[in-house]
Amino acid sequence: MTIRLITTVTALLALVTGLASAASYPEAPIVFDKPVTGVIFSHKVHMDKGLSCEMCHNRLFEMQAKKAQGNADFVMESLYQGKYCGACHNGSLAFAANTRCATCHIGVKGAKRLSDGGTQEETHEH
Amino acid sequence: MNKLDLNNLKNEGVENVPMQERRDFLKMGLAITGIFAGGTILSAVSTFNTANAADFAKKYPYSPHYSMVMHQDRCIDCERCMAACVATNHVPNVPGAYRTTILEKDTPDAVGGKREFIPVLCNQCNLPQCTRVCPTKATYKDQTTGIVLMNIKKCIGCLTCQEGCPYNARYFNEEKKAVDKCNFCWDTRLSKGEKDTACAHACPAGVRIFGDLSKQDDPVFKTVHQIEKAVWVLRPEAGTRPNVFYTKG
Repeated sequence: MTIRLITTVTALLALVTGLASAASYPEAPIVFDKPVTGVIFSHKVHMDKGLSCEMCHNRLFEMQAKKAQGNADFVMESLYQGKYCGACHNGSLAFAANTRCATCHIGVKGAKRLSDGGTQEETHEH
Repeated sequence: MNKLDLNNLKNEGVENVPMQERRDFLKMGLAITGIFAGGTILSAVSTFNTANAADFAKKYPYSPHYSMVMHQDRCIDCERCMAACVATNHVPNVPGAYRTTILEKDTPDAVGGKREFIPVLCNQCNLPQCTRVCPTKATYKDQTTGIVLMNIKKCIGCLTCQEGCPYNARYFNEEKKAVDKCNFCWDTRLSKGEKDTACAHACPAGVRIFGDLSKQDDPVFKTVHQIEKAVWVLRPEAGTRPNVFYTKG
């Protein structure tokens, strides 16, 4: 009986913690690898700028990491038309998507550094 | 104080005027035509409308004069160029073996972008140091295209060319038992009628523009010969007159 109670409490705690973390964000940066290798998105950088979840989810991006890269139109041209990152990265809300390429494109080298456990990319202020 | 006799000064020639100096003047629309009095006096003429008339053939002596312009800020290190080069030119998959690679430069103090990728390859210099130092003439400047080629049968693997190259563009190929380097895909593409290199062809971001500097309507020529945007070469101080140019935008 006691064991069962503890299990239930633990399960409840886990659920609550789960809910709490759902309201926050994934800490590790997301690194897209299609159509080109090494394109970083950091939740932290964007949240620190005061953006809220619903500004991008689920209108621009679904809440599943890297799902967007499965779409055929996940290319720079779409961004220039205001889709995906281009909704803000248009030169007025945030730097335009056709500038500062290497800010998000960390490339094969940057992606490798991250997968090797480095955190250097995240400290870049975007 | 001695008075200079301006009419009878001897022109000391422009051979020793650094390339950077000449380029700086060209951007002002002036070509240096002589230096006098130990370099204290410089004579220059306007290049307006005649920018390339006089020394054009001397400047671009090859036909086609193959060249590449890198729009450096467009590079995203996707490395498709490198993959295409490896596949096209059978570059072995060992550390240090490459015909083209991408350098990375961190600029943490910059406003905006903090990182630059710089694609590099053999600069096919007009005055290559590698061919000068090669004891067996295994590497040489092609008389027609200006491409720096390898005759691997003559290569003795002494690696002197590697020492001579300011661009780190050469590696020893264990399979060929000879030094290997970028030749603008001469044997694999250009000589077969293709119009560009594998790397330029594979680039999704329009970084590498391949062309012919001897044609004034060529995109490469037009980019190199404009004054709105800066154009530079890597390690100009080496004085090798490279044929790979860099710009932004």
